[in-house]
Amino acid sequence: MRPTENINIRFPKNLQEALRLQAKAGTRGQLLAGGTDLMVQWVSGTPPPRRATSVWNLPELCEIEVRDKDILIGAGVTHAFLVDATPIHRHLPALVAAAGTVGAAQIQARGTLGGNVANASPAGDTAPALLVTDGTVLLASLGGIREVPLTQFWTGYRQIDARPDEIIQAFRLPKKGAARERFRKIGTRKAQAISKIMAASRIRVRKGQIVSAAIALGSIAATPVRLTQVEDFLAGKPLTAKLITDAEQLAQKTVQPIADIRSTAEYRRWVTGRLVRDALENL
Amino acid sequence: MSTIQRTWKLNGKKVSVRGPAGRRLLDYLREDLDLIGAKEGCGEGECGACTVLIDNEPVASCIVPIGQLADGTEILTIEGVEKKRAGRLLQRAFLECGAVQCGFCIPGMIISAYALLMRNPRPTPRAIRAALAGNLCRCTGYAKIIQAVTLASSRLPVPTKRK
Repeated sequence: MRPTENINIRFPKNLQEALRLQAKAGTRGQLLAGGTDLMVQWVSGTPPPRRATSVWNLPELCEIEVRDKDILIGAGVTHAFLVDATPIHRHLPALVAAAGTVGAAQIQARGTLGGNVANASPAGDTAPALLVTDGTVLLASLGGIREVPLTQFWTGYRQIDARPDEIIQAFRLPKKGAARERFRKIGTRKAQAISKIMAASRIRVRKGQIVSAAIALGSIAATPVRLTQVEDFLAGKPLTAKLITDAEQLAQKTVQPIADIRSTAEYRRWVTGRLVRDALENL
Repeated sequence: MSTIQRTWKLNGKKVSVRGPAGRRLLDYLREDLDLIGAKEGCGEGECGACTVLIDNEPVASCIVPIGQLADGTEILTIEGVEKKRAGRLLQRAFLECGAVQCGFCIPGMIISAYALLMRNPRPTPRAIRAALAGNLCRCTGYAKIIQAVTLASSRLPVPTKRK
């Protein structure tokens, strides 16, 4: 018998029921969405929990709402759905591009945005694209909704700012407006590879001058990070070849990359600069 | 353990399903229903040998617990795809192009290619590569597989819009 067959999985019909189960279960209430990370861990050695609550296809988690200034995306929305959801493409192109690089079609069909964020792997593909939106996470509990900025949500390696009784319901992501977005993922091969480093950017230029810049990296540290020093340096400056070179060097100087099985710190430092250059040269 | 009871539409036929909620779809198909076309390669959702269609989307059946498949879910395995016209065209094209060597990855390849052709009957080689990116083959080098999907697509009538 496979280890996952021992799990007592509950299937709540709606969010309210799921929240009640979570409130009762406390820390033992493992949530299970598309299973693209958890099922793999549980069949390959990590002991599965005794109990789990399935949030796959919970109706309240599967909604997308395009509003005036921002877009609400349910945590249960799959990567495949994001790739196909044409009404959001022009507002959140980096996120759509990131979703399209998660695994391949088979994983995109099951993996959810909420799962990618909650799993909190530093290599989570959607994280940098979410970070540059300056959006928020909407956490539901029986007590109501708590809204946390994405820039504060990843608190450490595989750690998120969510209580055991909370469920990620949705993300509120400001539209990019006049800014340009870009997403690049650098891996060992193009398809089905976990990244060595990736970058997302949202930069607004008006009349040759950078109005605002948001640049985020993944697979570089214990959590996805924003390059705030580079962003502050760029804001308000005219976009010139020298500025791009200076920004590239500043990024290489200030980034604090890790070394692990997928890449070295030295390589990541160098590529960080190139990715900043790439973002600025493609505005 | 929690036991589930569901009714799915599997390869066009209603089936009653009963088992542990955490049982992998792949095990249920192969061991309980004797549908051994889907293969277990890596068991980690990476290689695509276990690919089946769930509500027209290709998924890795080795990481899907059967409890998450609600009543009415439509599942199509290679045993069902070979009864479809596009499925037969793909099989024939794979044979004609010599796109099969050991064959272990081929059911998954055909399922992914079938899902692609259902969405896009005239895919570019680039679209074919993207659709098959989650199916690993260690024998062929992929070139003949891409050729075979292109050939099958060229034989597939494109539905024309009627006025």
